[in-house]
Formats: sequence, C-alpha cells, structure tokens
Amino acid sequence: MEVKHLTEHYDKDGYATIKGYQKLGGYENLKKALKMKPLDIINEVKASGLRGRGGAGFPTGVKWGFLPNNGEPRYLLCNADEGEPGTYKDRLMMERAPHQLIEGMIISAFAIGSPKSYIYIRGEYFYPKSIVEKALREAYDNGLLGKNILGSGFNHDMDIYSGAGAYICGEETGMISSLEGKKGQPKLKPPFPAIQGYLGKPTIVNNVETLAAVTLVIRDGAAAFRKQGTEKSPGTKLFSLSGNVVKPGNYEVPLGYKLIDLINIEGGGLKPGRKLKAVIPGGSSAKILNKEESEKATLDYECLAQMDTMLGSGAVIVIDDTNCMVDLLGVLMHFYHHESCGQCTPCREGTGWLEKLVNGIKSGQGKLQDIDLIETVARNMCGRTICALSDAAAFPAMSFVLKFRDEFEFFVREGRSKIKGTSYAKMHH
Amino acid sequence: MFEKVAQKLKEPLMPKCTINGKEIEVKDGTTIMEAFYQKEVPIAHYCYHPGLSIAGVCRLCMVEIEGMPRTQIACNTKITEGMKISNVSDKAKDSVKWALDFHLINHPLDCPICDQAGECGLQEQYMHFGKYEPEMGQGKVKKRKVVDLGERVVLDTERCILCSRCVRFTDEVSKTNELGIFNRGDRSEVGTFQDKPLNNNYSVNTVDICPVGALTAKDFRFKQRVWLLKNRESICTGCSTGCNVNVYFNKGGVYRLKPKYNSDVNGHWMCDKGRDTYKHLNVEARLTKGKKTEEGKTTECDAGELAKQTAQLIEKIKKEGGGDSIGLIVTAQYSNEEYAAMFELFKIKLGSNNVFYWINNQKTFEAFDGLLYRGDKNPNTKGLLRALSKCKFDQTWDKLEEKIKAKQLKIVVVLGPENQEVYPDISEKLKLLNSVDNVVWLTTNQVLGTELLKSCWQIPVKSTIEKSGTYINFKGLEQKIKPVTNIVSGALTLTEAAALFAGDEIPFDSKTPVKGERVWNEFFHHRGDL
Repeated sequence: MEVKHLTEHYDKDGYATIKGYQKLGGYENLKKALKMKPLDIINEVKASGLRGRGGAGFPTGVKWGFLPNNGEPRYLLCNADEGEPGTYKDRLMMERAPHQLIEGMIISAFAIGSPKSYIYIRGEYFYPKSIVEKALREAYDNGLLGKNILGSGFNHDMDIYSGAGAYICGEETGMISSLEGKKGQPKLKPPFPAIQGYLGKPTIVNNVETLAAVTLVIRDGAAAFRKQGTEKSPGTKLFSLSGNVVKPGNYEVPLGYKLIDLINIEGGGLKPGRKLKAVIPGGSSAKILNKEESEKATLDYECLAQMDTMLGSGAVIVIDDTNCMVDLLGVLMHFYHHESCGQCTPCREGTGWLEKLVNGIKSGQGKLQDIDLIETVARNMCGRTICALSDAAAFPAMSFVLKFRDEFEFFVREGRSKIKGTSYAKMHH
Repeated sequence: MFEKVAQKLKEPLMPKCTINGKEIEVKDGTTIMEAFYQKEVPIAHYCYHPGLSIAGVCRLCMVEIEGMPRTQIACNTKITEGMKISNVSDKAKDSVKWALDFHLINHPLDCPICDQAGECGLQEQYMHFGKYEPEMGQGKVKKRKVVDLGERVVLDTERCILCSRCVRFTDEVSKTNELGIFNRGDRSEVGTFQDKPLNNNYSVNTVDICPVGALTAKDFRFKQRVWLLKNRESICTGCSTGCNVNVYFNKGGVYRLKPKYNSDVNGHWMCDKGRDTYKHLNVEARLTKGKKTEEGKTTECDAGELAKQTAQLIEKIKKEGGGDSIGLIVTAQYSNEEYAAMFELFKIKLGSNNVFYWINNQKTFEAFDGLLYRGDKNPNTKGLLRALSKCKFDQTWDKLEEKIKAKQLKIVVVLGPENQEVYPDISEKLKLLNSVDNVVWLTTNQVLGTELLKSCWQIPVKSTIEKSGTYINFKGLEQKIKPVTNIVSGALTLTEAAALFAGDEIPFDSKTPVKGERVWNEFFHHRGDL
C-alpha cells in the first residue's frame, strides 16, 4: 500500500508556495531543529538509518560524520541533477514541494555547520527550476535564509545552479566540477568530497529526496522514521514507475515493499493480454531482473543487492513480452555511449564498443562470439574507472546478455528479432 | 635520553610494503607509482608523469593489492603499512591487458607511417601485455588528422589516447592554457580554444610527453626513424640556464634535442628556442676546413696546419712588437678548460693582457621568463667571468677600439661565438677588425663577412657536442659536457689550438675518432623517455 509521508500534501493546492506550505506545518521542523544541537541532529539522522536516495544508498548521517573538524568552511550541495533514465521523483518533489527541500537543506546545513549551499538542478528541468527559484525567494523574504535565521544566530545562503544537461553531472564529483565552472567530469578519489570537494573545501552532496526526508526525521524522530521500511532500509521511498504498466507514476511506498505489488497494485498491472518479461528495478544502470526474480524481489537495498542488482534511484522500468531485449539494450548502450565523459579509457572506449556490438547484432551483422564479447568487454569495464558510469553501462549489458541470451542468439542466427520479427538486416540494406 | 626521543619523533613514518614479493620501505605518503619509480620496477602507464598532477585516467597502472577485490591504479593509491602490491600477478596483468586493449580499439594502428614508432608507449606496452589477436571487429571512430596546432606542433587526434598530459602541461607548467579536451566520450579530442595556436616557448615539451604519435614536432617529423638514432647527454647552449639534454644523432648529424631530467636545473623540460640550437651543429652550417683569406683570395687548409702557421705569425709579431701587440677577443660560448688554456697562453707565454670580452646582449642578461628561458644567451658567462678575474684581465671594450685605432694591435685572435644568431652585432665587430692586419678567427661555424677582412684566418673548432669540458650556469652550477659525436673531424678544441699557438707539438691527429664514434653504425634498440 502506498504510504504518504513525504508526499502527504503533494496534491494540495498551493503547497509549493510558502503560505500553503506553512499552513500545513511547514518550517516547524526547522524551528525545532534550530533549537537542537547540530551534533544531536546528526546523531538523530544516523539513528534513523536514512540512506541516500540518489542511488548509492549510503547512510546519510555517516556521510555527514566524515566532515573534518578543522574550522574550514563547508558546503552542502543538493544533487537535483536527476538524469538516471527512468527516474523522475526529484522533479515531482521540486515541483510540488520546493519548500520541503529547502527546509530539509537548512536543517542539514545547520547540522553540518555549512554557511552556503547550492541546489544543482538538471539542465533540462526548466520548470522545476523556476518553481524552486520562486520558493527560494520566498524563503529569503521570510527570513528563513540569509543572516540570523529565525533569530537563531545561524547564517545560511542558498543558491541554484543549472548544468547543461549531462548525465555525468549527476555523479557527485562530476557535479562539483560543473559547479566550479569546469567541464563536468568526475574527480579522482581520494580525496573524497567530504574532505576536499567544492572549491577544495569539505563538501556534502545529498539527493533531493534525502534532504527532504531529513524533515521527517526531525518531525517524527528516528524511532518513528524506522517504523516504516526494513531494519537495514528504513523509511519510505518514492518509486518512479514506468514502462508497460497501466498507471505509471511516482509512488511512495515503504522500503521492503514487494516489487510485484508496486506493479500490480499501484501501477495497475500490465495492459490486458501482456505478460511480464523483465523489470529494471533501480534506474537503467541497475541489472535487469527476469520475470521470476521480479516476482520475488522486494524494494529494499539488501534484497536487491542479494539479487545482484540495486535499488538505485528507485526507477522501476517494467518490460512486457512485446519488447525485444536486443533492441532495448541498444537504446541503453546508445545512452551510455553518448554520456560517457571520456576521461577514463575503459569507459570512453568501452561504451562505444558495446554500442557497436549491439548495433552489429541488430543490423544482422552479428556473430555468435559477439554475444560473449559483450559480456567480456562489459566485465572489464567494471570497477576500473574514476566513477561508476562505466559500471552503469556494463551492468545492463552483462545482465541482458546473461538473462536473455536466447533473444540475442536468435537475432544473430536469423537476422531478425525474436519478438518483433523485424528484419533489421533487410531494413538496413 | 630526551635527545633520542626527540630524534624518534622527528623521524618520518616509513611504511613497509612489498612490491612483487620484494619488501621495501618508503616515505609516508608515497604513492605506489612513486615507489615503483624509486625502486626502478617497471610499471605500465600513460597519463602519469612525475612532472605533472595526477589524472588517473589511462587506467594502465593497475596493480593488485592483497585484500582488495579489485585492481587499483598505482598513481593515486598511497602506500600503507604492510601493503602487498603486485603488477605481475595474473589479475594485474589481465587488467593492464584490457586497459591497453581499450586504448587500441580506436587507434588507427598506422605505425608504419607514424613518427612515434620506435618510442611509442602503445607499441611498448603491447609487446609486454598484448600480443593478442584484436577482438575489435567494428569500425573505428574517425577524428581529425594533421591538425596544425601552432608553429611547432602537429596533432593527430585519431592517434591520441587522451591521457591529458599535454593539457596538464599547458595548465600547470607553461601556464599558458592553450590546450583542452573537447567533446565527450569517444568523440573527445584534444584541441585549442577557437583554434588559437599553441605558440608558447615550451610547446614542444607536449610532444616529448605525448606517449603516442598524436603530437609530433614539425621540426623532427619525417626526418628520421628513431631507432636509427642514438642519444647522449649534453648541455643546451641556448642560454645560461644550461638545461640538460639528450642529443639524438646518427652519422647524418644531429636531429633533435630533448630535455633530460635534472631536478636542479631544468626539471623535465626545456624551451623551444633551446631545441633549435642543434641546427648550427650540423655539418651544413659548420666550418669544416681552415680558411685563409689574404688580399681577397681564399685558400683552404688543414686546421692543425693553420694553427701552426698562426703560431709562427704570433711568434714573429711578439718578437717585433712584444706581447702588447697581440690581442684576444673572447665570447662566453666556450668551456672553462678552454678559457684556462687560452688565457694561460696569453698571460704567461705571450705576456699579453689584451684580452677583451665581447658581450652580446647585456641589456637582456637579467631577463627571465619565470620557467627556464634566460636573457643571457651564453652557456658559460659565469665561467668566463671567473676565468677573466682569475687572470686579472680587466680591459674594457673601449680600450680595444682605442688600441685598434692606434694600430697597436698587430694580430687579434677571436674566439667567435658558436651560436652566431645571438650575436647580432657580428658585422659591426668585423668592421672594427678590418683595420687590424691579422685576424685569426676561431669558429665552429662559417662566419659570414670574414672574407671582407683584409687578412683573416679562420680555424674550425669543435662544438659543444664534440668536446669535453665544463660550463657554469647562471646560478653557478658547474655542469659537464662530454663528446656526443664527431661532426667536423678536423676541428680543434681551443685547448688544442692554444697548445699549437704556443708552438707545442701536440699529438694531434685529425683522423683520431672521438671516443664512442665506433658505435655509430650500430643500430641501437632505442627506448624513449618515460
């Protein structure tokens, strides 16, 4: 069942404005937080077990704890560069509840002692950006940002920055490079952002949903937050359901919810006559699940990790039996080839190679050994680069070939899709 | 006791680790790559360069560390106590093999027409880790070729492996920021901003550090295959910095100079102007025989023979007019040993104090570009000044002009500049010398205009790369030069010339090969720097 915690008031008119937000209890959590000790907030967040909602699922409180205590200025960055194919939850949050994000950010900034934060919004998100901008202005006008916030003595400034629309700028160090005015390329780690991030200063990067969820932790306390979800994945999370379902959309469910229920109950099931074939559970970078796995899977970090895939950003892409997997992999490989930043050799060259291999099969020119080669190339792209884009390209390639090998082999043998019957070879000539 | 404790506290942490099974100790904070360098254990890498920041992008320096599930890059991983590192384990080798394969799939593999062949990082690592059948059956990415980057450098973006060394060089060393990597993914290309040219005085360093044939020097490309070249150390004579260089040569002459690492002088780099100094060393520019010009007629003879004739002439003049009628003009382009020999001859044997210092561009002597290039365009100004003051030769140039006008000097010996380009006043000096009866010009190169003199004997002398000796650079560092090759075999060193002028019979034989000449014709397997 859908549990509306974060999204409780999302459907209410005027919730995006400060008046509407405050009417429904907005900024009360901030008032409460400003009376707490920053360390207590960090400990509360730690105790809540809140995990990063951007994709990696790293415990937020632990991340905050990495900041050095050397008196250097530190930055809080909100990662709103929502680029993972299939994901559109942050957009909803920014459009419907920008003040929730801003409130969460001020609380987080207060907790880590940051005087300045940025919201890095995806280049294509013109509309959400305009709404957040407006909300930011309202927050300033109401003394919620700037000097001496609500008389607490805490100063904090917030700004918005927009990239040019590169997927790689959603990677935290790529985002920092972009924010610094450089080419959006991930930075070599170590040093990690918490030690040396934006402008070489300690920096915390959190996802929109993570920062918004901080308000819940403050409002209800860690123990109440933990009531939802599982032991290791507490709380609720927004899932962006897309693909071949009757009712695609964002749904907030507790972590540990059954994947198949999300599809059938919230998503309204598949279209009549269609059969479930596969699900990508956590954005296009996650390894694909076949029908049997999808039916068993629960939406939490540990179960999906056990199934050798990941919860990721919570983008659930449902694939029914009318889709050709070779075709789909081609789409994904094109995406990663296009988005690789080109720094590290395995990713720069490997993403292009993978796309060429899949396209070779799609054009009827493929050989059987190409299927193995896709797997080998992808395997050798894993874990050997600065950031995870290389892995993100390799995971779908490896899992598609592993789980739907028959479709690839059919394509090579027959020169046409097993599902669609289209002969690309003929189209090609 | 307290001293001992204090000493202990001062001692830096020295983590122990093993590299390929061998235990070593390194300073705290050392990266694995640096440890490999220090212990001279070979490790594959392209983007790492000891003179630049860490990029960590080529992913070739993969090593296996015990206890870590994945191979790690050596260039950005710091050594911790007890680390067990290997770059020869199967896992490490497989990582390197694949990193190399990713480098090669879109590489044009045009080695037969590539200037880098023979000193190419890709070729070298392929021989270590590759030697497999290529699996890439798809079309390669096409990119720009023969991109004219500037006055000295040409770029082939298809050969480029995007290690970013050149970009980091222009960012961090020359600080001119001309280069950048444009576009994304496998469409990435090195280029200049809005095709603004790469025209700084250090541009060819980018060619040196390019591990592949992407950046080539216009001056060197298509001139010679590198495996037909030998290299030896020498000192650049372009200015008073005295950059350490490797001279690349074969029997056809010298083809290029490349910087040789010296942390006290030039680090890893040298300037473009310094690289041009090899040009006047080759035989085409050189004076190969003694030249006698008398009353408009020029005859050629052996250098040693001409030196002996000079000795007789000097003796005659000394008898007639004493040491005071003999003069010497010196430039700061010779070695300390040569000055010593020449000055000893004048001071003691000839009893002359007529030694005059020909200064070329004193106004710019103090100029410095902040990196390497200095305004003093002589390799040994400090050495010359030291020798002059030791012999108490303190006559000014005005005095020379005075003495020439007064017809006091019957013979003037000139130690002409090796690099005449930096002596723009050469014709002016010739005009002055025209009123001297006898001019003996010792020179490495042909001097334009000497035939205008009434009487001029030109004696060929050896250049920097043909002799031994020492130069003292701007900061007083004495650096050795050794014979690299022999270009004009009949030429004398000033030491030899001084001995001959003194009337000594020296065992001089123009046919004696310079040490090392024997190996000229052998083709060495050549390894490029880094």
